[in-house]
Amino acid sequence: MKWFRKHLFASALMAGMAAAGAAHAEDGTIKFGLLQDFTAVYTFVSGEYNQGQRDYLTLVNQEGGIDGQKFEAIVRDTGNQPQRGIEAYNRAREEGAILFDFLSTPVSRALVDSVLKDKVVMITPVHGRGDASDGETFPYIFPMMATYWSQATVLAKYLEDHGGLEGKKIALVHIDSPFGREPIPVLEDLAKDKKFEFKAFAYPSPGNEQSATWSEVRRFRPDNVLIWGAGGGQPVSVREAIRNGIPPENVLSVVWLAETDAKNVGADTMKGVKRFEAVATGKDNPILKRIQEKVIDAGLGAGEAANVGTSYYNIGVATMAVAVEAARQALQSEGAPLTGEKLKAGFEKIKDFNAEGLMPAVTITAKDHQGGGAGRVSQWNGEAWEPVSDWGAAYQDIVQKEIAHGAASFKEGK
Amino acid sequence: MFYRLAGVHHTRYEQARALWPVPADRWQVLVIALLALAAPFYLSDLYLGSYMLPWLIWSAGALALTLLMGMAGQLHFGFAAVMAIGAYSSIHLARLGIPFELTLVGAGLVSAVIGSLFGAAALRVKGLYLVMATLAMQYLVDWVIINVPAISGGAQATLRTPAVSFLFVPLESLTARYYLALAWVALSAVFFLNVKRTSFGRALVAIRDKDFAAAVIGVDPFRYKLMAFFTSSFMGGVTGAILAFCYYRAVTPEQFSFNVSIQLVAMVLVGGLGSVVGGFLGAGFVLLIPIMLTNFVAGLAASGWLAVSSNLLSHLPLMIYGALIIGFLLFEPLGLAKIYDNIRKYFLVWPFRHARS
Repeated sequence: MKWFRKHLFASALMAGMAAAGAAHAEDGTIKFGLLQDFTAVYTFVSGEYNQGQRDYLTLVNQEGGIDGQKFEAIVRDTGNQPQRGIEAYNRAREEGAILFDFLSTPVSRALVDSVLKDKVVMITPVHGRGDASDGETFPYIFPMMATYWSQATVLAKYLEDHGGLEGKKIALVHIDSPFGREPIPVLEDLAKDKKFEFKAFAYPSPGNEQSATWSEVRRFRPDNVLIWGAGGGQPVSVREAIRNGIPPENVLSVVWLAETDAKNVGADTMKGVKRFEAVATGKDNPILKRIQEKVIDAGLGAGEAANVGTSYYNIGVATMAVAVEAARQALQSEGAPLTGEKLKAGFEKIKDFNAEGLMPAVTITAKDHQGGGAGRVSQWNGEAWEPVSDWGAAYQDIVQKEIAHGAASFKEGK
Repeated sequence: MFYRLAGVHHTRYEQARALWPVPADRWQVLVIALLALAAPFYLSDLYLGSYMLPWLIWSAGALALTLLMGMAGQLHFGFAAVMAIGAYSSIHLARLGIPFELTLVGAGLVSAVIGSLFGAAALRVKGLYLVMATLAMQYLVDWVIINVPAISGGAQATLRTPAVSFLFVPLESLTARYYLALAWVALSAVFFLNVKRTSFGRALVAIRDKDFAAAVIGVDPFRYKLMAFFTSSFMGGVTGAILAFCYYRAVTPEQFSFNVSIQLVAMVLVGGLGSVVGGFLGAGFVLLIPIMLTNFVAGLAASGWLAVSSNLLSHLPLMIYGALIIGFLLFEPLGLAKIYDNIRKYFLVWPFRHARS
């Protein structure tokens, strides 16, 4: 009987866990589902990113909310697994969340159709499928910042402005995944237009070992290298580039290169490497100062105070700044209580919003959910990221072509 | 008392070979079947769509794998790739306008052919070496899917499932998708139980226990190992198609990554090798416990019972989950199915103490 009682206890414990899972909050708040991957692949970004998101929402609440409406973040770990993301999404939706941020390609891909059907907002800032910029095909999906396509064009524009593109050799060294391949069509089109030689080099996922790829890159003798990876692969790419004789100044990265990577490569070694940035880094911004004062110093921060002002933290802050602005617009024109449909309308009313200088001005319309696709290039100076160009978008005609192409095939059901 | 054995006679072969000779077992199966059939009426969409549905589909996957690993003793660490082949072939076949019923069979056949191709390695290697060969299958299939746009669906590498209907019922509502998954897992379970009683099943068991001893008594290892891979891959392929059409409805390569293969192996091992109950329990454990733990820990934190950093908070469920796996396997190395079996045996003779096996 003894061992049977043990069994019974174990199964009762399990059942209890299932029941205790649902924690309900009081109504009258606007709920955002921040269901991200804190334990698997995206750990390099999600901690700081989510901390920034929550701290910004706390700041808004501390300042009295919007029209008396407070914000609440529902945070869950999805472990980058679609089935866990689907569960977390359905649960958060039952709890009343009207905006979702998954920050995970597999999870958001698996939920695109559900979001469109359930009429709730999904934001995919600086990641996610680029063709979702087409607001008519993807009415409830908002990239709301530069997509990977726009990031590639901003980097190319920077190269054109600094030394020109014609006759140059540009290499793209990317992780062998859909994310890594995403910029290729845009860069190929640009290569034709601007008459430079373009070649893509893939390294196997997860990117801890890239030496074979880089010796091929060396043989290509590129003038500039774009590195397109995320997390652990990025410092390896930078190190390999330098080891293969490519000056750090000629290495440009997708948005996923941050302070941690500089620390891993060696802050001095990485000096000169450039990256795309969609949001300013550092604490030198009115919003960040208020967060420091009213959230961090008040002991309400969601994580370590040392993270405040890092690249990913600030991206998190900016995403919520845009989302809260959308909620403000929606409350103004549609009135409380907010629904996914009203929030969508609010997003599409955002005009020239730059989060008090934290990010380039975005204007989101019913047609363009990317908001212009602007960004800038910044350079690692040994201690911090220093902007080396002004906010701006580039070659959006080429990006639009890709968007139209992708959206059309989505409509066909592909 | 609960499992009355009075009146259960082994006087005819049919009776002795019955799936559930004891009436109490039949009642349990009947009650569970009724509960499963009625699930859409008493479960909310959240629990039906996010718990029951994936649990059933993954149970079918675990059953397919346990046929190979548990019954035939061939380790397979690339089973997600088998399911991926099924999922992708089913979508492409359905797009060609082939009826969904045939699409499922086609998906199973494609998986079975490719799966047995890699299974051919099993004719030469065993144990850990076979693990390497099947791992190679996982990576090769992943690579092909990612690098051939015609398969993966272009730059975004996402394929949406076209609208289909199964036996004139459109697979649109959650209820319809649930019933198809239920039908498939029930079919898989009944098939598995019956395989155990056939000469094919006994041959597989003989090969698992010692393949050259099996050869000595006249079981052709070449033929039966290939047949095991073929059958198991067929079931895996159909499960992949069901997973794509009934659950995900949009397929990306990451859904069938190496991690998923490991999860499937974990389902089979934690559940108990070569057992139907184990397939269900293992799939439930590996799939649902992390979700429940995450919600449980988040609930504790939200009510102020657990004041830890958010980083620790997100890893706490993983730590508990790991401890649970170790705990269960220490407690009963033969898996959850054996725990069920122990309970059953206890009640078989209750209120007396001594169980006979």
